[in-house]
Amino acid sequence: MAALTDQDRQRVTNGLMRYWSQLIEQVSGVTKSDVRAAVNAADTWADDNQAAYNTALPVTFRNNATTPQKSLTLAAVVLMRYNPELLKDIFGNLD
Amino acid sequence: MSTRCVFTPFNAEFPASNYPQLTLSNRRPVLAFDATTDETCYWTSIAPQGLTGALTLVVTYAMASATSGTVGLQAQIEAITDGDSVDTDSATSFDAVNNSASTTVPATAGFIDQITITLTNADSIAVADYFRLSLSRDADGSAVADTATGDLFVLGVELRDAA
Repeated sequence: MAALTDQDRQRVTNGLMRYWSQLIEQVSGVTKSDVRAAVNAADTWADDNQAAYNTALPVTFRNNATTPQKSLTLAAVVLMRYNPELLKDIFGNLD
Repeated sequence: MSTRCVFTPFNAEFPASNYPQLTLSNRRPVLAFDATTDETCYWTSIAPQGLTGALTLVVTYAMASATSGTVGLQAQIEAITDGDSVDTDSATSFDAVNNSASTTVPATAGFIDQITITLTNADSIAVADYFRLSLSRDADGSAVADTATGDLFVLGVELRDAA
């Protein structure tokens, strides 16, 4: 999968800022351009390491799951580590 | 210097699109101005007796999440005098924009700061005019550098004159 477009990277940046604002969650010491640079870096990292992630998956899942399913799997694991409440919002329940 | 009008979030009026959310921060009513889209709201009043001289606007705000960077605000005045030919059904007649300085936000989100905007362009407002005040955040930084992340919460606005 190609890296996100410039517009999509900005959409992610905007969404992050709105999300943190809604939570009244202090984002210390960074400006808009710092958030955008982080989004760029995360997208580049995901792009560069896509093959490595795919290789790390068990072969049955790797060969049968779609790219969106594999992506959601990674996103869910990361969210469960650091923001389970948001993951619960996505899944509806975490039982 | 005298306080001539005080405007609060619950008195604000909104355009059809791109307006700040009227919300609560710790049960305090605030207008939440977005960090990426320029948003605008208005207040309407009648220019009070005694109004005179240069006007300044003092905007009391706090940041939702940011602790660094700057914000920029813009204010405009539309003043309509008895007998003026402004068709209020269909037209607006705001004077030119007045920019704030690019202002560094407080180092703690939720702490209050006040931004003063000199209303050099005040549409020749005079006592008894029907007037509107427009307030915007220059989120895209087109006129005033605005680098701080997240929402800017406006808690209140004071209009002062020179008396």
